[in-house]
Amino acid sequence: MEVPDAASDALTARRYLIDLAAGERRRLRLAILAGTSVGLLTIAQLVLLARFISRLLVEQASLAELVPLMAGLLVLLALRALMLYLQETLAQAASLRIRQRARRSLLDHLARLGPVKLTSRHSASLASQLVEQVEALDGYFARFQPQLWLAVLVPLPILLVVLLLDWLAATFLLVSAPLIPLFMALVGMGAERLNREQFAAVARLSGHFIDRVRGITTLQLFGRTSHATHEVHAAADDYRQRSMRTLRLAFLSSAVLEFFASVAIAVVAIYVGFGLLGYIEYGPADELTLFSGLLVLLLAPEFFQPLRSLSQHYHDRAAALGAAEGLVALLNETPDAGRLPGAAVPPPSCDALIELEAVSVTYAGRGRVLGPVDLTLAAGDVVAVTGPSGVGKSSLLQLLAGFVAPADGSIRRVEGLSLAWMDQRPLLIQGSLADNLRLAAPDASRDDMREALARAGLGELVSALSQGLDTPLGERGAGLSGGQAQRLALARVFLSGASLVLLDEPTASLDAETEGYLIEALQALAEEGRALVIATHHPAVMALAGRRLALEAQATVKGGGP
Amino acid sequence: MMPGRDASLWRALRPWLSLLGERRHRLILGALLMALTLASAIGLLALSGWFITATALTGMLLAAGIAASLDVYVPGGGIRFFAVTRTVSRYVERLYNHDTVLRLLADLRARMFAVLSGLDAHALSRRRASDWLNRLTADIDTLDSLYLRLLAPALVALLAILALSGFLALWAPRVALPTGALLVLGWLGLTVGQARRGMAASYRQVGDLEGLRGRLIEQLQGLAELEAYGSLADHRARLAVIEARLYRDQRRLGKQVALGNALAALVVGLAMLLALWLAAEAWHAGLLSGPLMVMMPLAVLGISEALAPLPAAFTWLGATRGAAERLNALEAQQQRPATASFSGRPPVGALSVALTDVTLIHADALVPALAEVNLEVRPAERLALCGASGAGKSSVAGLLTRQLRPAAGGVRLGGVAVEAWPEAALTSRLALLTQQSDLFDDSLAANLRLGDPKASEAQLWRVLAMVALDEWAEALPRGLETRVGEGGRQLSGGQARRMALARLLLREPDLVILDEPFAGLDIETAKQLATRLDSWLAGRTVIYLVHQLGDAVDPPGIDRRLTLQDGRLCTNGQDVAG
Repeated sequence: MEVPDAASDALTARRYLIDLAAGERRRLRLAILAGTSVGLLTIAQLVLLARFISRLLVEQASLAELVPLMAGLLVLLALRALMLYLQETLAQAASLRIRQRARRSLLDHLARLGPVKLTSRHSASLASQLVEQVEALDGYFARFQPQLWLAVLVPLPILLVVLLLDWLAATFLLVSAPLIPLFMALVGMGAERLNREQFAAVARLSGHFIDRVRGITTLQLFGRTSHATHEVHAAADDYRQRSMRTLRLAFLSSAVLEFFASVAIAVVAIYVGFGLLGYIEYGPADELTLFSGLLVLLLAPEFFQPLRSLSQHYHDRAAALGAAEGLVALLNETPDAGRLPGAAVPPPSCDALIELEAVSVTYAGRGRVLGPVDLTLAAGDVVAVTGPSGVGKSSLLQLLAGFVAPADGSIRRVEGLSLAWMDQRPLLIQGSLADNLRLAAPDASRDDMREALARAGLGELVSALSQGLDTPLGERGAGLSGGQAQRLALARVFLSGASLVLLDEPTASLDAETEGYLIEALQALAEEGRALVIATHHPAVMALAGRRLALEAQATVKGGGP
Repeated sequence: MMPGRDASLWRALRPWLSLLGERRHRLILGALLMALTLASAIGLLALSGWFITATALTGMLLAAGIAASLDVYVPGGGIRFFAVTRTVSRYVERLYNHDTVLRLLADLRARMFAVLSGLDAHALSRRRASDWLNRLTADIDTLDSLYLRLLAPALVALLAILALSGFLALWAPRVALPTGALLVLGWLGLTVGQARRGMAASYRQVGDLEGLRGRLIEQLQGLAELEAYGSLADHRARLAVIEARLYRDQRRLGKQVALGNALAALVVGLAMLLALWLAAEAWHAGLLSGPLMVMMPLAVLGISEALAPLPAAFTWLGATRGAAERLNALEAQQQRPATASFSGRPPVGALSVALTDVTLIHADALVPALAEVNLEVRPAERLALCGASGAGKSSVAGLLTRQLRPAAGGVRLGGVAVEAWPEAALTSRLALLTQQSDLFDDSLAANLRLGDPKASEAQLWRVLAMVALDEWAEALPRGLETRVGEGGRQLSGGQARRMALARLLLREPDLVILDEPFAGLDIETAKQLATRLDSWLAGRTVIYLVHQLGDAVDPPGIDRRLTLQDGRLCTNGQDVAG
């Protein structure tokens, strides 16, 4: 099977699939065992069938004499169905567990990477990776992997039985056996190419469709929708013509397999028939009987069946490999050392909450984005972080929150320091208003929530809602305006009781009214004795701050009061 | 299943079945090819069994010294024939049916697109997200397998059972009828039975996958807040609930499929044994020759190839049904305002605009997007409508272009209610530059010609010059034939903006609505553009939608300004003349 690339220690897609399979080795082996039993039971069944016919026609046995054979056939039939069921359910269970485990470890990995490392990735496509690509592993473990073994394990005993019956017939099958890896390669190449090209073409076609749908309002405004409908049809039809050209070739490889399976039956039938008539005077042909001849005939298609199944499941492998490549690329991204479990932060010297000493932040490919910076924060401090965009204001907040680890310098932080975070795009989860508030404080009472909403300027809105706190927010917070969402995030800050509040450009893109609420609220938070760090351009917010930290490109200038 | 649910399944699938019906000749031919492949496979095994038995019995007679003869050439030729037809018809069938499926895909996509283009902004605005589009395409792909996975195999299998029973009945009806009856019963179990057992769970799958995706997006977008508040684990628990439900259903479905496959093996096995026993009886009774007696169970064995694909396909019927229902629901939303009969003609020349007591409520919204707005614009006046994002500016544009309909109040253009305008007149006399510059993955020329399909190349260059893109376009190696990439991604934001504007300049509208016309442009370009735009706008009614005036370059020739806040017009003296 596939040999992993030992030269590099980066995870490869194949290695990943092998590692995943290793976790469910027991179930997969049992599935293969059950599948092998299915093969053996099939052989036994066919032996009894041939025996039945031979007893009847050759030995002229009465029906009563045949009852035991029939009973045996019925038992085998039931057993075979049972084994078939076990094979499938075991492989299915293994695949389920593998996918569950894969998703869990990916989620753990994403959590360790943290919000900063993930900003470069589009969250919708990342989410569909975690849904679709993990699900795409299913066929590989549930079907392809077991079948890969069965394609070897089942034909062997069949060959053995045929060999015992008639070595020349066995030779027919054996001659095709060395060709089987060749077919496999042919089928595999065909399937892989088919998959690759199909994937690419489907993606292109979907891209075209999505491109037109995305701009559908524009098409409506220009009265061009019927024209675009024709275009969509034409694009799909063009795709059909091009893909039919490749399919003509791709289907040939499986046709070859089909052809050999058919020819093997035909050759065996004619050889056995002529042998039974005594037309063949060499080899074992004169020893053929109705029993052995019929059994050889019945076994011939079973010899090829596992291989045909494998070729049917081949696209599962291609799909899984494609998916694994995407997932492995994600897993190969390494988190900051400081964010790994077990990385401890020393406590600050005096009664400060957090101390930064000559810390700097660097990003791979971008160099140093912040620092060195010194900063000490105590309860009740309000610090405005200012400076032109790109100077590292957000990085400073991320550093304080622990989303990134410093490249240099040291951080000292009170153990169990509770944080609140607010940026321009607040998180809104599907659920009720209360669910959204509980993100900040899982145990908050309904009165606390109402009070927090009132302080954030949402009191009026909530009391106007018939369901109050239980009003559901649609998907992605549909139903709230941008300003309302921002106020909800503010209510979370109030509710959390966090001692350090980090705000990244909280006033950007707000209407004047919400802005007013926000500034009042920040004042109130400071009066509660919380430490506030606010990255901002806004003069009113700066005026609120007791201290100002003006960042400049590649160096810091510490300012005094505003 | 209750009859009601059967009826609703039928209702969900009927429009798609009738769409398939438009290609019925291809579908029938494809199914016949499948049947031919199957018949060859059965024929190969059955004839081979017959041949071996016949030769064995003849051989025994010969060995016993009894004169006997057997024509070996006809059955030998038959065996070779079936071996070849099985291979060839399988190949042709796969190719032909794939072609059919791809044709169906083209039909389905075009139909869906036609449905989408009939939706109004209410329906579309909720459906912008790209994951929704992905689901839409996935749903179309699911329906696209309706024929190849469900209809054709089931029909071919039933046909094969009936044909086989008929064929066997030619020699021994007493063998054929019970065997056929058993197989038909099995067929029912594998199709209808499997579908019923899997319906609910497979129906839920897509929804649960969507839910999982939604939660994941939340988690990824809100990771900063979740981590800061220490509530990541809580959110992970929410995710785990959906995943557990998803996998519980998958486990259930997997078991159903496995059960179905075991059942298929059992049914074929039992039918084979039944045929064997009954044929043996008939042989004893002298009603059947030995070779024919052997042929019967072997032919029944061949049916397994027809039944094998049924359990998996039918257990997951619920997923197909879900896809069909979602697309049907979309189609049902297709309710662009029907044009009321309008006897007169809209006035010629620059149009006046009047909104009276207009209230607009978006679906799902907690507060109205516009509340009791009264607004009048005189012909050829230029109004600047200011406001923060979400204040309701785009809603005004949506109402005027009939993309949105008010919950209350009236919208009039040129003194005529907007609902009464003929569609063609509305699109030709109104021009709207939307906030988002929608460009299509096509050439520059094709994107421009959206404004006027008949525009000459000279006209295209003229409008490019107006937006100061002519020099840039001339420098491109492929000139106007340069492709702009998906959503215009090959262009910078400023270039895309100007392309969208140039597209508008090809038209001769009487009301122009420009949403942030200079967004993303540097000051020099914006100034240049403002001058040229000024002369083009002369004699037309204009509404500018802007965040704030006086920030950078203001749009040219503003006569009056109004401010929207939270869906209401501010009346506190912000209206200024000139």
